Amino acid sequence: MAAIVTRALSKTYKVIGKAAVRSLRGLDLEIAENEVFGFVGRNGAGKTTTIKLLCGLIHPSSGGASLFGEDIRLREARRLVGYMPEQPYFYEYLTPRETLTFYGRLRGLSAAQRQAQWDRVAGLLELEDIADRRIRGFSKGMRQRVGFAVALVGDPPLLILDEPMSGLDPIGRRMIREAILRLRDEGKTIFFSSHVLSDVEELCDRIGMLVEGRLVHHGRVDELPGRRMKEVEVSAEGLDGAAAATLVARSAGHRQIDQVHLFRVADLENANALAAEILAAGGRIRELQPVRESLDDFFARIQQKEAAK
Amino acid sequence: MRVLAVAGNTFREAVRDKVLYVLLFFAIIVILGSRALGWISVGQDLKIVKDFCLASMSVFGALIAIFVGTSLLYKEIDKKTLYTIISQPMHRYEFVLGKYFGLVALLALALGSMSALSTAYIFVLGGKLNLVFFQAALLNFWKLLVVTALAVLLSALTSPILGAIIVFCCFVFGHATGVFLDLPPQFNGTFTKHFFEVIYYCVPNLDNFNLHSEAANDIPVSLAYTAWALAYGTAYSAVLLIMACLAFEGKDL
Ligand SMILES: Nc1ncnc2c1ncn2[C@@H]1O[C@H](COP(=O)(O)OP(=O)(O)OP(=O)(O)O)[C@@H](O)[C@H]1O
Ligand SMILES: [Mg+2]
Repeated sequence: MAAIVTRALSKTYKVIGKAAVRSLRGLDLEIAENEVFGFVGRNGAGKTTTIKLLCGLIHPSSGGASLFGEDIRLREARRLVGYMPEQPYFYEYLTPRETLTFYGRLRGLSAAQRQAQWDRVAGLLELEDIADRRIRGFSKGMRQRVGFAVALVGDPPLLILDEPMSGLDPIGRRMIREAILRLRDEGKTIFFSSHVLSDVEELCDRIGMLVEGRLVHHGRVDELPGRRMKEVEVSAEGLDGAAAATLVARSAGHRQIDQVHLFRVADLENANALAAEILAAGGRIRELQPVRESLDDFFARIQQKEAAK
Repeated sequence: MRVLAVAGNTFREAVRDKVLYVLLFFAIIVILGSRALGWISVGQDLKIVKDFCLASMSVFGALIAIFVGTSLLYKEIDKKTLYTIISQPMHRYEFVLGKYFGLVALLALALGSMSALSTAYIFVLGGKLNLVFFQAALLNFWKLLVVTALAVLLSALTSPILGAIIVFCCFVFGHATGVFLDLPPQFNGTFTKHFFEVIYYCVPNLDNFNLHSEAANDIPVSLAYTAWALAYGTAYSAVLLIMACLAFEGKDL
């Protein structure tokens, strides 16, 4: 059974006296169980809106969605989700331990279950050393960890995380990344939004991209349609000055590091031709590497294409 | 269970926010105030002390209900602390009820302590208390249930400042609902007259909960009246709470 299914899910914000904002337009999405799904798009694209809809914080203007077959309007659906908001806010006057106890009680866990929960989560997110300090004095990274911990309370099979790594230092990000991978291996489904495309590329099985509330792309990271090979880099050595000069003239770009020449050409065709000339001139090929368009470039291009429509 | 968890937390928040320091002010005001008034009217000391204690309980209780109550839901929405709560497997009304009962528990503690302080003070002055004093204290508390329910309803709809102003006006007019009926005779039969009549029947008559002068003068009040007043307050609170839950149910957070 699919973990998340949305059917023409739409949200229009109506504020009295202002123009209506169509934040999400007819989202059709299906996310399989045990999948890690990355949700990307520019600021204001509608990522948080989608996530809030799935977690029951706002009500759809039209369309619907279900989580493991349970309609999102029902309380039962929310039993299956752990949600971490964009910037997790908690009661400042509680400690992390008290916070997790509180959410455990909201989930109807017994005292023993809550303790077991704490041991599991505190270990995963290194909460022990801050367990009994009030959240009031916490840094952003500590709050983020508590936010993640709260999403894990009750061991839900689906985690919906809104920018789980924003504002964290490299160590903090690695902690979250490792936690996500570990949860995936435990069989959880993870849906998260992010602006850091390298994280998305590294973690996700599939991604979806929103532009102004519409899903313009979704699919496996390595099979995104139209993701171009940007150029090919040919690394060679053993060339004399004159031979190198003629080859530089033939390539799109060139760098030299000590005796190693790095030529850049448009595609594999040109790379093969260039390689043949290098060999003919008595040089040796060290490496031939296709440079794929980065995910950032790919998205920038899609954005421009959509904006032009 | 879930309602209790939310209520317990609301209570704890108010305590950690030092709301109960109000009790200290209560003690100071009661002692100083009753002294000052006592000097003015010699020989009536105990009557005045009792009346003054009950009036202070009413005012300080109302201050807590209004200031904490009108920000109860608003603060959660504003600070986004309820994102992770509403996304739990719970009904939204459970959250509203939890917030309400948390504040009610706090008020119970505050009014209970104020009653105890008053009793002790009156004993020290050599007076003794009759049942009617405690009936008056209980109805004071019950009145605050209505005020709190109204405050919670407004905190789902509007900002704390506007909410506090509205609840305050209702509190003042609720003690003097008669003004809505006592219009000068030239208004007879006009729309204004009917309009104020409607208001009269909508605004809870908070004077129904006022047994201060009976308590001061040791005039017994029947249990039947007390029971009626309790039922009256419960009904009003229930209606206001249902409205608060409905207002909160469809809200986009
Ligand atoms: N409560 C609201 N009332 C009116 N408009 C809103 C509301 N919440 C969001 N919007 C609008 O909906 C659109 C989508 O917002 P959303 O928060 O979903 O974007 P996002 O993709 O999460 O952006 P970011 O990357 O900045 O977090 C924006 O244009 C925003 O202005
Ligand atoms: Mg967002």
